[in-house]
Amino acid sequence: MQKDLESKFLSDFEKNQNIVHKICRMYTTDQHAHKDLFQEITIQLWKYYSKFRGDAKFSTWMYRVALNTAISLYRKSTRIVKTQDISSVAYKISSVDYDDTEELQLKQLYRAIHRLSDIEKALIFLYLEDKPYKEISETLGISSVNARVKMNRAKEKLKKILNP
Amino acid sequence: MDLLDKYKKTWNNQPEEAHKLSKVEIYKMAHSKSTSIVKWIFIIGMLEFLTIIPFLFMETDTKHFEEMNILWLRKALDTISCAIVAFFVIKFYLNYKSISSLDNTKTLMDKIVKTRRTVRNYIFTGLSFFAIAILVMAFSSINNQFINETPIFKIGIIAIFIFIGAIFLGLFWLFYQLLYGILLKKLNKNYKELAKLDELN
Repeated sequence: MQKDLESKFLSDFEKNQNIVHKICRMYTTDQHAHKDLFQEITIQLWKYYSKFRGDAKFSTWMYRVALNTAISLYRKSTRIVKTQDISSVAYKISSVDYDDTEELQLKQLYRAIHRLSDIEKALIFLYLEDKPYKEISETLGISSVNARVKMNRAKEKLKKILNP
Repeated sequence: MDLLDKYKKTWNNQPEEAHKLSKVEIYKMAHSKSTSIVKWIFIIGMLEFLTIIPFLFMETDTKHFEEMNILWLRKALDTISCAIVAFFVIKFYLNYKSISSLDNTKTLMDKIVKTRRTVRNYIFTGLSFFAIAILVMAFSSINNQFINETPIFKIGIIAIFIFIGAIFLGLFWLFYQLLYGILLKKLNKNYKELAKLDELN
């Protein structure tokens, strides 16, 4: 039973791990911290996997546990990334077909996100992932109205950073 | 939202992580030791419980109580201490167990903060007992050793006891604030940000 659960967890997680990588990229600025946070998220996901009944999508459930870990459980605080650190932002993204302009834009985006607060990061992440307000408010535990208000502010702040 | 729409497209097109983890690597990670704040709160909390217990059950100074004819108070305090420690340990453990990353962020933070508060209340209760002991010792001294001294001298003795006690309590409080201040700095900041949002509307 435990073995079945474990192998299902491993294959579910392996398939969806990109979500966690994206969250780690938002909340950390170097490879070591990325791995550290990834590990803590993995521990939390496995700890509660038996409670995941499949009534929600695995990825939806993953968003919640991963963001909770980044916001509340992970101890090391993020450091604001300096200009010279840009190269380290999207440090592990590399693809031959990937457009140069897009790569630059992505780096700019991550750099801007690093300057947001932890809560704003979560909001922007859920916005970029196209999550409905209902899910955003349920994930963070705030009302839909508050989620909207805070989201608009976070978006404005992000826009200002991207285009001062 | 034009600008963000453009970036959103970039976001959606971002390539997958180049260094993907294999099942074996994930397995190893899932079975490694957690370093989450919750775990630290549990470890530190348990240490705090253990540290205060010897103070609560100190047997050395019953003579002060005997001298003042209030040995019954000492016994009552001992029984109450036992009950208090048991109460707090159970409460702390139940709070700790209720913490789950499946909750929404706000509830999760509420529970973490509540768990920490349980230990804080326990520490304050312990310190109150300490303060009572100091006062008993002060009054016992002026009623025995310094019984023939002037009232001003007696007041002075009590003042010295209170002063020493206050310094000790102050240092303890400072250490405590520092410990949790460092540990929960990030969580408190995020907690306030979410709480502030509720006040605005």
